[in-house]
Amino acid sequence: MASLTSKRHKVEDLDATEFCFQQGWTDGLPVVPPTEDRVWAMLKAANLKPEDQVGYIENRAVAVNAEKVALNAVMAGCRPEYMKVVVAAVEGICDPRWSYHGPGTSTGGAAVLMIVNGPVTRELDINAGDNLFGPGWRANATIGRAVRLVMRNVAGSMPGLLDRGTLGHPGKISYVIAEKETGSPWTPLHVERGFKKEQSTVTVLAAQGPHQVYNQLSNTAEGVLGTIADDMRISGGIMGQPEYVVCLAGEHTKTIAASGWTKADIRKFLFEHTQSSHEHLKRTERMSGAIQAGDDKKMRPLVAKPEDILVVAAGGKAGAFSCYIPGWGSKRSSQAVTKEVK
Amino acid sequence: MELLDPTVEQPRQSIEFVARPASLKGKRIALIENTKFNSDKLLERIGDILKAEQGVSEWKVFHKHNAGVPAHKEIIDEVKAGYDLVVAGVGD
Repeated sequence: MASLTSKRHKVEDLDATEFCFQQGWTDGLPVVPPTEDRVWAMLKAANLKPEDQVGYIENRAVAVNAEKVALNAVMAGCRPEYMKVVVAAVEGICDPRWSYHGPGTSTGGAAVLMIVNGPVTRELDINAGDNLFGPGWRANATIGRAVRLVMRNVAGSMPGLLDRGTLGHPGKISYVIAEKETGSPWTPLHVERGFKKEQSTVTVLAAQGPHQVYNQLSNTAEGVLGTIADDMRISGGIMGQPEYVVCLAGEHTKTIAASGWTKADIRKFLFEHTQSSHEHLKRTERMSGAIQAGDDKKMRPLVAKPEDILVVAAGGKAGAFSCYIPGWGSKRSSQAVTKEVK
Repeated sequence: MELLDPTVEQPRQSIEFVARPASLKGKRIALIENTKFNSDKLLERIGDILKAEQGVSEWKVFHKHNAGVPAHKEIIDEVKAGYDLVVAGVGD
């Protein structure tokens, strides 16, 4: 049987949590002390050996192995059965397309938004409903926390050192949601991204915080999405971000679906209605240069193409609220990556 | 209670630096630009100053794919083949 190779520390039982704080291993909250039996339980649940490589972050020259992922998942408070989701998310942030060093370090303060799809969301009770981004679900709170602890303890993303977010946001503690697939009128995100409905996936996106939008007046798709588009149009930093997630919750989902709109229709509408004129961007000092004749007619889209808006059905049934989440950087700097949960 | 350490020890790597040149006269300078706003302008200005005041023979700006990644292979190959010195600044 393989053995665990991590350095060992002897501590008094009562001091174990405090010891973890003292070592600088935590995100500021108490952690579950990482003991050998707990780490093995995590590895066995995901059918992994300690030395299995989960990912390699080229720009940091860091190999992330299953033992370290399991250790950090224990500390985060994960149940062993969550380990496979944590592993898929870590694979995602180690993927060259996610390009770890930029979003993991940037003053832009991106978090790792994790959108979970497929049967695993029901199996593990990953919240897709009420209080979507809030507290109350162990899976949502601890899976994202485990990923952030891996970033801190393995990949070196220490706040103030190699994590230089100017502001950061609360999603940097945990930022996990599931898509509400049961009863949804739309194709789930993972199916749109090339997976089968029966597969489970995690989509990771370097992302800012959620921006809530309210519309209780409209009973049409155009009305609801027009309000969301108006809010999105001037969001996300300089002139937009490379990708956006739009989470449509219960009442808005019903209204938009009643108009017969698909996710592709939603993306197209949002793409067309979130464009800003060069005149506006220059006047508000988002775009450099002096305003030229014709700049008021020259339009710049928020994202390069409609597919850069990821539409997700999630959130509580009651309330006329939805949200959008700007991504981070540029398409060449980081992009959303979807990995299968195995 | 025995706890396992969740951190990793990074393998140490030693890097040898080449000796600094006594003079920049006649040297070819590669300027590595990281795509941040105005970093190209700053490096072009540095190139002009090095040419006018230090006598470098030529300079060229190379553009990385983005600020979060190292210079890509084509840049490294061209710089190794045709340049004596590199200025790599982080514009932000």
